[in-house]
Amino acid sequence: MDLNLLKRLIRIVERSEITEFEVEEGDLKVKISKNNGTVQQIIAQPQTAAPQAMPMPNAPAPAEEAKEETKSEDGGNDYYEIRSPIVGTFYRAPAPDADPYVQVGDTITPGSVLCIVEAMKLMNEIESDVGGKIVRILTENATPVEFNQPLFLVEKD
Amino acid sequence: MFNIEEFDIKCNTEIIGRNFIYLDEIDSTNSFLLNKSEYNEHGTIVLTEYQSAGKGRLDREWVSTKEENLLFSILINEDIDAENVNLIVLGSSLAVAQSIENLFQLPVEIKWPNDILIAGKKVSGILLESSSKGNVIEKVVIGFGINVNQTSFEGQYGIRPTSIRLEAGHPVSRERLLSEILNNFEEVLTQIFSDSSKVLNDWKSRCKMLGERIKISDGENTKTGIFEDVDEMGFLLLRTQSGLEKILFGDVSLRT
Repeated sequence: MDLNLLKRLIRIVERSEITEFEVEEGDLKVKISKNNGTVQQIIAQPQTAAPQAMPMPNAPAPAEEAKEETKSEDGGNDYYEIRSPIVGTFYRAPAPDADPYVQVGDTITPGSVLCIVEAMKLMNEIESDVGGKIVRILTENATPVEFNQPLFLVEKD
Repeated sequence: MFNIEEFDIKCNTEIIGRNFIYLDEIDSTNSFLLNKSEYNEHGTIVLTEYQSAGKGRLDREWVSTKEENLLFSILINEDIDAENVNLIVLGSSLAVAQSIENLFQLPVEIKWPNDILIAGKKVSGILLESSSKGNVIEKVVIGFGINVNQTSFEGQYGIRPTSIRLEAGHPVSRERLLSEILNNFEEVLTQIFSDSSKVLNDWKSRCKMLGERIKISDGENTKTGIFEDVDEMGFLLLRTQSGLEKILFGDVSLRT
């Protein structure tokens, strides 16, 4: 089965109200179920009488880890992590001589612009998906970041 | 003025450009699509005759004379992730390169990641902007600036500009060109989801400087080395004395 198709199916289920989804294509059966907001996938082997089983495709990692509130070491508080959606270079300001979008201690609302991550010719503006206060900025300006790398810690409202 | 009927006859897409916004003048077509939440349909395109604040990377200006060129942005907001978004960066230039080849049989080269050159001169630049909520990319806008019928360029340029008209030797139908680009773009976008290695290989076959000694500048620092390859995410792999280095962005030129 096409891995990209599988990823898209997972994405669709993840974004939707559906909790369970099953599809058969030829003799491959895929079942995707969602428990507690996280997507799990089970790839069932065909139940035909094939004596030697086909090698199991390596189950791909879930397309996106559900964002979670992480237990931080900072006094045991639960802080919310804002992570990078792409691989790229992290910028705290829209231009080299401009003021940073946010500083530690700033109050933010959902939709507040926090930073830019640039890759190739793509400028990706990251907005907060929560409201609260910036507790810590985890990455230095103008340094590379990996996919899903934590960028900001937010104390949620 | 852009003739939408003429464009529509040649445009065979199912999604891309089916929602078409025409503006006489705007600051930037990218900003328009990023900021106007009421135009949020996947595949929407906005085309303008004049941008008062056209831009490139690092807030560089993109200047284009009125009604002679193609200035448009495409909105993509379905199934975007960290992997395929980079292929959209490369694939957008592939669609333009294929279109110029198909219609005018001109030798087109792509400069990493997505500038388009004819005979070493720049004919098109593409800037992508996206917005994310937390770590989810919500939408990507792809802004195309293509020099079509402009015949004189004044001012300072990093790379000498040209237009398709100057290279082909005759005026060019913008409507025909846009429809060809959207037809190709829709196909490339489909391939990104189904057979991304084809997109990467098609892009590489047009990539100028692959295998050459290059220098790459990120605005502050310059690195030199051999442009060995691009990885599966489209990043440039530079062979330097200390090994293979992955380059995320920058201006590439031949080392002279």
